[in-house]
Amino acid sequence: MPGSETSLPRPFPPGEAGDGGRGDETDFGFRRVRAAEKPRLVGAVFESVATRYDLMNDLMSVGVHRLWKAALIDRLRPRPGETLLDLAGGTGDIAFRFLERVGRQGTAIVCDFTPAMLEVGAARAIDRGILEGIEWVAGDAEKLPFAKASVDAVTIAFGLRNVTHRDAAYAEVLRVLKPGGRFLCLEFSQVALPWLARLYDLYSFTVLPFLGELVARDRASYQYLAESIRRFPDQETLAAEMRAAGFAEVKARSLSGGIAAIHSGWRI
Amino acid sequence: MSDANSPAHAPMEIDPKLLEILVCPLTKGPLRYDRERQELVSEKARLAYPIRDGIPIMLVDEARPLDETTKP
Repeated sequence: MPGSETSLPRPFPPGEAGDGGRGDETDFGFRRVRAAEKPRLVGAVFESVATRYDLMNDLMSVGVHRLWKAALIDRLRPRPGETLLDLAGGTGDIAFRFLERVGRQGTAIVCDFTPAMLEVGAARAIDRGILEGIEWVAGDAEKLPFAKASVDAVTIAFGLRNVTHRDAAYAEVLRVLKPGGRFLCLEFSQVALPWLARLYDLYSFTVLPFLGELVARDRASYQYLAESIRRFPDQETLAAEMRAAGFAEVKARSLSGGIAAIHSGWRI
Repeated sequence: MSDANSPAHAPMEIDPKLLEILVCPLTKGPLRYDRERQELVSEKARLAYPIRDGIPIMLVDEARPLDETTKP
């Protein structure tokens, strides 16, 4: 991907942001693209960053993503024997934490749109001596390849942003969840504090693409990440969206001043 | 499209527990495990989903249409 293609932030009329692509067009960072094209574009980003994804997460968030992921597992409160489906979970971070928490008495299914990310995850699992209780499946969150009522919990960490039609993904999550099952989404959110927002903007649009260039030799992909975060709905909007989709007891919890948030909902 | 349907090494077995809950992403219908070709076949969708290095690739775009290639 030529860098110039994604490196020009373009403003959009208010109200258009983050509709998740209801019509023919959708957001790809700050660009508008044909909805049918987004999966391929997102795929190319993650294909490109796969091998450096974990290192980049540490650098980008100065390690804070580990605390956020720990917070996600705390909220999930997994019990031994449960089956977790982790969407967009490519490199296995959430799945490993889940297995650790249940004393390896459970099953984690990692489903990701990008096979290259899964390969990195599967190799990491072997490095950690995790040979059982974990499954790797390439799949689309909007067209899940799992039977109805087949899992106890679904998580998605830093993945919902990349889904073209969030409504389709919600419907699929509700389909595969057992009654009484829960859905948790960890995602970047909108920073509420003005001073933090300014600092964060500076960081995201200056430092982040620079780090991407330096570490992953891929400025455009990290520019996309920064842009796609800004396009994503705020906590209230996302919670309302989940309620409308049919989740019960939807709650949002802000992390690190709103840089990230955990949304949770139940299938009843 | 690759014609790499002949695995050079012994294919990694897919977990029977996973097979139980996998369905065709298009039709949500059952899948048949073709051990020889390392594919998961959806008769209803007329698609065969490849298994690469033990990872089922359940993406419609990556699937092989059944009626297209039935070479000997």
